[in-house]
Amino acid sequence: MKTSTLEISHITKRYGSGATEVVAVQDVSLSVAPGEIVLIMGPSGSGKTTLLSMLGAMLKPTEGEIHLNGDIISAMIENRLPAIRLHEFGFIFQDFNLLSALTALENVAIVAELAGVKGSEARRKATNVLTELGLKERLNFLPEKLSGGEKQRVAIARALVNDPALILADEPTANLDSKIGREIMRLLRSIAKDQGRSVVIVSHDQRIKDIADRVLWLEDGEFKEMVTMATDPVCGMGIEREKAIKIEWEGQLLYFCAQGCRDEFASHPDQFLN
Amino acid sequence: MHMASSSLPDSVRRKVKAVTGVASVTPILYQSNYVVMGDERNLAYIIGLPEKAEIGGPWKVSSGLSLPGKGEAIIDLNVAEKSTVALGDEVEILGEEFEVVGFSEETSSLVNSVAFISIQDFEALRGSYGTFSFLLVKVDEVEIPTAVADRIQSQVRDVSVQTREAFASQERKVVKDMSTDVITIMNLIDFLIGLAVVALTVYTATLVRRAEYGMLKALGARNGHLYQTVLTQALLSVAFGFAIGLGITFILSAIVPRLGLNMVLEVSGASLIKVGSLSLVIAGIAAILPIRQITGLDPAMVFRDR
Repeated sequence: MKTSTLEISHITKRYGSGATEVVAVQDVSLSVAPGEIVLIMGPSGSGKTTLLSMLGAMLKPTEGEIHLNGDIISAMIENRLPAIRLHEFGFIFQDFNLLSALTALENVAIVAELAGVKGSEARRKATNVLTELGLKERLNFLPEKLSGGEKQRVAIARALVNDPALILADEPTANLDSKIGREIMRLLRSIAKDQGRSVVIVSHDQRIKDIADRVLWLEDGEFKEMVTMATDPVCGMGIEREKAIKIEWEGQLLYFCAQGCRDEFASHPDQFLN
Repeated sequence: MHMASSSLPDSVRRKVKAVTGVASVTPILYQSNYVVMGDERNLAYIIGLPEKAEIGGPWKVSSGLSLPGKGEAIIDLNVAEKSTVALGDEVEILGEEFEVVGFSEETSSLVNSVAFISIQDFEALRGSYGTFSFLLVKVDEVEIPTAVADRIQSQVRDVSVQTREAFASQERKVVKDMSTDVITIMNLIDFLIGLAVVALTVYTATLVRRAEYGMLKALGARNGHLYQTVLTQALLSVAFGFAIGLGITFILSAIVPRLGLNMVLEVSGASLIKVGSLSLVIAGIAAILPIRQITGLDPAMVFRDR
């Protein structure tokens, strides 16, 4: 898999002009590193969708630049953007957005075919990704026969089939119960940490904070507060670095959710560091 | 002959008979009129035939006599069956009652038929003797018909001479010209109906899947890919309609002759190519509106339309 760095620099998106002008996103900058999970939260109407559309090369900013591996994709002509979306990004949507007339396998294979992979090879790739996501027994099922969690896993497989470096997820747990939601979160974390892909998630779901490396709060089109998340090595909880208990251990900064976890770590450090 | 008026005196018959290469001359009388059977009035070409006419009579007789005598008529079998007329029944032709003595085949079309009576009856009903509508010439076996036709044309004044082929060709052209406008209008209406049905089907199918097309655009599908999908959908729709239409035509072509309707349905290779080509045009036009719809789809709708 290729690694990519997405960087947005002072982007602003305005709709309309004069008295009817609406500023959806105002002077936003962000850099997403390979393997990083960035969670963007914010109230409804804060500009999350507009920002996500711009990140996904579907909407051009009025001002500012979006860089992908050094290329300014915000300045590219419209014709080049579908190929960027197809090869560089994997999209996961709230409503799964699977093609209702196609099976799980076909839903994934069609995206590989759009990228130029021939029919049988596309099906083989799709089968592999779906199998990795535990859907081997569901390859030939239509979306209507799949559970919510299975549908979202098919959507994740579709996002991964062209081996993109960046995954953009829009409310990926919104239509799932808490158990399945956690399963999807674990999967997204694995995609980032085990496969080295960058993951940008837009969500209202507070639980996703647990897997995020950074949480950004978008309000009135601007990032108001940046919270850097860390994982407690003892209990595995996601915690805000600024509010966590910190210790330095063998040159590494560790974060704990509470005194108890820190004490437990201190008594048996080898047990938690491997 | 169709809608033509011709009057040839007996002297012309004699002059034609005298031309070298002419084996025999059969005069006939002709008029468009009705064969009335009870309440049914059937438009027909009425042909008056001389006794023992060598040519000009019904070329295929299914039952009864092949030439009518005095007070007798030979009518088309399909027309007779439609009106449940049997041999020996009476029909009215040119205002007079005739006994049906024979049934002919291949003598009816969608709009009319041919009925044969004796030339004597025809003359009597018309009140005019010694003139004929047409002269049918049989040439000697060693002669070439066109050469004899040229000879008659040059030797007999004030006549129009045609070979059988030229006459048949002209008749076909007259009938075709007369019906072409109607058929063209019918075809145009059919085309527009077909176009409307296919266009509506493809447009609705595209509209229903608007979100899916938007999602594919968001994932990176090019417009060209989506246009191909719409075109394929349109082509499949017309292919389906074409197959059904063809199937129905074949079924009807087998059924219609058994119903006694004066109509022959024929599916020719040329007509298949013509209809197939028109179907492709319909598919192309029907795809225009959905393609425009797809062109205008914003891929970012995938995040907004929920």
